Amino acid sequence: MIKVTGLEFAYRQSPGKAIKGISFDIGESEIFGFLGPSGAGKTTTQRIIIGLLRGYRGSVEVMGKERRSWGKDIFEKIGVAFDFPNLYEKLTAYENLDLLGSYYKNNSMNKDELLNSVGLLADRDKRVEKFSKGMKMRLNFIRSVMHDPEILFFDEPTSGLDPVNAKIIRNMILDLKNRGKTVFLTTHNMNEADYLCDRVAFIVEGTVPVIDNPGELKIKHGQKTVKVSYAGDEKPREELFPLAGIGRNSEFLEILGQDSVRTIHTQEATLEDIFIKLTGRELL
Amino acid sequence: MRIVNALKADVRFQIKQGFYLVYVLLTFIYMVILGKLPQEWKSTVIPLVLFSDPSMVGFFFIGALVMLEKVQGVIQYVVVTPLRSMEYLLAKVVSLTILAIAATVMITLATYGYDLNWFLLILAVTLISSFFVFYGFIVAVRCTTLNQYFIRMIPYLMLIILPCFSLIGFPYSWMFNIFPSVAGLKLVFGAFNGIDILSASAYTVYLLAANLAIARYVEQVFDRMATEGA
Repeated sequence: MIKVTGLEFAYRQSPGKAIKGISFDIGESEIFGFLGPSGAGKTTTQRIIIGLLRGYRGSVEVMGKERRSWGKDIFEKIGVAFDFPNLYEKLTAYENLDLLGSYYKNNSMNKDELLNSVGLLADRDKRVEKFSKGMKMRLNFIRSVMHDPEILFFDEPTSGLDPVNAKIIRNMILDLKNRGKTVFLTTHNMNEADYLCDRVAFIVEGTVPVIDNPGELKIKHGQKTVKVSYAGDEKPREELFPLAGIGRNSEFLEILGQDSVRTIHTQEATLEDIFIKLTGRELL
Repeated sequence: MRIVNALKADVRFQIKQGFYLVYVLLTFIYMVILGKLPQEWKSTVIPLVLFSDPSMVGFFFIGALVMLEKVQGVIQYVVVTPLRSMEYLLAKVVSLTILAIAATVMITLATYGYDLNWFLLILAVTLISSFFVFYGFIVAVRCTTLNQYFIRMIPYLMLIILPCFSLIGFPYSWMFNIFPSVAGLKLVFGAFNGIDILSASAYTVYLLAANLAIARYVEQVFDRMATEGA
């Protein structure tokens, strides 16, 4: 659905390149996470693909056609939810969907159902200026899917949401994938990426050193260990053992034999640990 | 049709933001004040007022509109919908020009009466208003706050208002006809005080051309803004 090859981009007002020859492709019904710290080039790449930045070098194909060759019709097929909820503040939730929905050929989705799906049906006639940030983000999210697009771009979609609503949004993203939609997710929330994405790309200083499945990354780069917490002579203690050969590890077996074990957990590297390990950068 | 929907969106936005309420009040004040003018002044003062306010209301309102849309981030979203740049701009031009025509008709009927060239008056107000909405957009696009707009618009306003003094008449004052504002003002005056058909046609054609030229230019300005961060 999206094929980026040798993409380079420089802002006019800045001397260096913001994007330095990155390549990746995203298939149908894939959730692709684009992860990196602020200023790494996440949003720049997303804006180039959406078509909000021109003058790139290399190739950006969207649905088999070079991005610069697409006209405005592409927006019938893609949906965008920015990290900032850009809504008509003086209009109601329903009016926001209704007015902007009227710009699309496909305006058949039931807006009340959409509002209901994110718990906003009771607030459909309330002015958006009275909404909390979380409510605005949910409205922002459903507005991006209301024309049933093929590709969706989400920038920090759960930012500012409480855990319950964040879960609702994450489930909706998974549901979109199950319906065959492609999702380009920009985030610096590694847990969210781990939970949602089929593949993730790490972007640092305009380059993409790593693209892989989160599970694979953990296997390849994570050190599997077992953490045992047990009652010591005077105070509780914790020990870390390599998972490999754990059944033959005498020290580990000795602790088990003391009958004082409180908990045993296998330890897995998080995506964030792997990001730091591979890029040498923190996700700020 | 997208453009009709965009027009509806703009009208609803303008109503909710209180634009129309403010303008109804302003029009009412004009009606009261102009109604008290001595009869012999009316054919001079009313065209001047119609030119400087209803015709130019779009210039002031477009700044406020674009600033509100920028602050709320709505422009940022509109550019990722199928709405074309020209449709977006025309919706604003049409909605604000309808407001200008409505105010013109109300003020004229209440303070002057029926005895004037209505066709020419409405044509003139339409052409001036649309030109000024596009013109105001050029200023608004470079601003981030409403205060900034009110300061930056001053030189732009001077550029189109000062040449209007050429109507007083002095050597070579005809050269100022090159300014669309002067051509527009002469048409408005012509609607009240008479104008020969040749001059009226020339000013109309010139204003049409000026509108087309500025529309194309503003479309490019809008596209540039959309692709460089709204």
